[in-house]
Amino acid sequence: MAQETPGLPEQQSTQASPIKQILNFLSSMQLGIILLLLLAVISVFATTQEMNTAISSIYTSWWFVGIMAFTALNLLLCTIERIGPLTRQAFQPKREMTADGIKKMQINRVIKVKSPGDEPLASVQQIFKSNGLQTTVQETSEGITLFGERGKFGYFGSIVTHLSLLLILLGAMYGALTGYETRNGGMSGDNFFVTQGNWRADIGEVRMVFEKDPTVRPRVYSDVTITRNGKVIKEGTVSINDPLRFEGTSIYHSTFLWISQVNITDPATGTVEELKFFEGDRYFLQDKGVQFESLAFFPDFTMAAGGRPTSKSYNPNRPVLAYRITINGQQEPWDLLELNEPATLETPNGPVEITLTGFENAAVYSIAKNLGRPILFIGAVLMVIGLYMSFFLFPRRFWATFDAKTSSLVVGGRGYRNRLGVEQIMERIESEIRNREGE
Amino acid sequence: MGGLINVSPTGLLVENTLFVIAVVVYLLATVGYVINLFGKKEWGGFAANTLRVAFLIHTAFILTRTVNVMRVPFVGHFEFGNMFIWSTVLVYAWTEWRLKDKYHAVGAFLMPVVMLYISYITLFPKISRAHNPLPPVLQSNWLKFHVSASVLGYAGFSLAFAAALMWVLKYVMENKKDAVKGSPFLKTLTQALPQPRVLEEYMYRASVFGFLFQTVMIITGAIWADQSWGRYWGWDPKEMWSLITWFVFAVYLHARFTRGWTGKKTVALVLVGWVAMMFTWMGVAWLLSGIHSFG
Ligand code: HEM
Repeated sequence: MAQETPGLPEQQSTQASPIKQILNFLSSMQLGIILLLLLAVISVFATTQEMNTAISSIYTSWWFVGIMAFTALNLLLCTIERIGPLTRQAFQPKREMTADGIKKMQINRVIKVKSPGDEPLASVQQIFKSNGLQTTVQETSEGITLFGERGKFGYFGSIVTHLSLLLILLGAMYGALTGYETRNGGMSGDNFFVTQGNWRADIGEVRMVFEKDPTVRPRVYSDVTITRNGKVIKEGTVSINDPLRFEGTSIYHSTFLWISQVNITDPATGTVEELKFFEGDRYFLQDKGVQFESLAFFPDFTMAAGGRPTSKSYNPNRPVLAYRITINGQQEPWDLLELNEPATLETPNGPVEITLTGFENAAVYSIAKNLGRPILFIGAVLMVIGLYMSFFLFPRRFWATFDAKTSSLVVGGRGYRNRLGVEQIMERIESEIRNREGE
Repeated sequence: MGGLINVSPTGLLVENTLFVIAVVVYLLATVGYVINLFGKKEWGGFAANTLRVAFLIHTAFILTRTVNVMRVPFVGHFEFGNMFIWSTVLVYAWTEWRLKDKYHAVGAFLMPVVMLYISYITLFPKISRAHNPLPPVLQSNWLKFHVSASVLGYAGFSLAFAAALMWVLKYVMENKKDAVKGSPFLKTLTQALPQPRVLEEYMYRASVFGFLFQTVMIITGAIWADQSWGRYWGWDPKEMWSLITWFVFAVYLHARFTRGWTGKKTVALVLVGWVAMMFTWMGVAWLLSGIHSFG
């Protein structure tokens, strides 16, 4: 353990047993720094990889998770080990000090007093108080010591921060072990079953609500009913940034897709097939020997420069489906189908008529169960509190005594991590004392 | 797709004019700080006041932009960069006011860094100043918390970086005492730089400030991602780089506090931390791919 760390006395005086030495190594700050740097270096490398590759081959690999677990262990041991010494340091300050003891402090002042009254420390006590210090006066055979302190809880900032980090790591592990992530979705009237959670979702209405500006991706709202064994367990609407939550599970709106309704009519027989196509779907017309492929749907079709079809906005002002057919393995050039304007395809086995009769939307959901969420949340809040305690409640302690031999006030100060801060307060205290003493 | 917002010609004119004036006045303040550094003390107060004026004009620019885009101007490199520059100047001006005039020298190092940020958002060809509407996924209150925390975090780290640069310069000069003695120019420069101990303290405090907000940024980002994407952590390069930056500064804080590191080693960590931060902001967007391509 670092020598700056107040350890237990017996630990320092005797040769530690091997177990102790191992524990000391595992709880050491050196190891902590090495592990953090290691995690940083691996992360740097990982970000140069393609994201999905990095996730599957690095971030979820046993060795990366192992380093994280090792870091957690290091943090846990280090934190436990420091609770005792820090508590003593925070709550059992040395309240009595001799003039010589105070003069040995890094920050100290010796201020001559011309005409000390009966209680030369009384005014100093006032000054300590006006600087926000809680004061006590200790009387010993060697004299009287005035002691003032503030920011005790600052000693525990690092403990709270470290525990919060552990909570976050634990919460993440718990969430990963007890939860699952999947994707699913559909259009109005569809349903799907999620085996991991043993529930079924029925999608009610899927509706699109446009932004004021129709070129901005619209919001899609979908009504979802969740049932288990026929019993409804949750009902609600899912939209972007507003998931449906139940049993630690959330259904998020991830994206939406366009679906084209296409009728394929055989003029010879008069049979009509009503089909629905996602972008990219294919359909083989057996008797005609042709394949129909839906390429892309444009709600507000226009032809961009260079003959590239595109959509001006999300408003369905001019719905058009781009499609392509393949005859006997031979791809034909793509073509466009406008709403309710039938097109006739010539095939080796006679003509067929295809019509875009309508369109609708399907919602795509990310589904995640994560029971670690509350733990993570508590961890996050604690982390901010812990950092605040670490850095803004800096502990400061001041001692003052009157040295009758030299007729001077001896004042000393110590801080836990903020020397400059202590120095500044000392300057204030000194100038206030000098003002009062009329120098 | 992604259309543009129709901005009135007057709105556009006001926005562009304010931006140009702000940049020019920032440049003036920078020059003032640099002259102050070379022994002309009377320039310190001038530079500080000029900086405050530039800040007010920049604030007016941001408000105009807010009106023109009809939302918080927190999206894309140009807007984020402006917020980041604005918050850096705010935090610096605040320290200057709090610490009285002792640290005008810092301005001579921080302001060139700020000018570097400004050059990046104005000169880098891929950065668009277009007035884009906010896509629904970004329409969340968490955006405001997330971006506010991140610009404050970046501001803290920028200040720490400026102090680290000063430390390096001071260090170089102290190791070249002979050269310094022979040159009155270098002598005034050495005198203008605060003691290394003071610089380290400045660097530490700025890093602490940055670290606190960087933490809040990561947390609010995670909460927001959880709400929009269904997961709080996606191992996305932008997320990873902000975590890497956070790790580097965590190592710095620990090394300084627990291991008692000072000087070269801690300064090096702050420099590395700043580079990681810059990469999170600039590099990730152009060199790595991920879902954060909007920011
Ligand atoms: C990886 C293992 C880590 C170890 C072994 C470790 C160990 C330590 C130790 C021994 C201290 C000194 C405690 C004291 O005397 O008050 C400390 C301080 C601190 N640690 Fe850690 N730490 C680790 C990671 C982290 C991380 C990732 C954070 C980030 C939030 C963190 C935040 C802090 C803070 C804020 C302090 C107070 C520092 C200061 O006052 O400058 N620690 N740590």
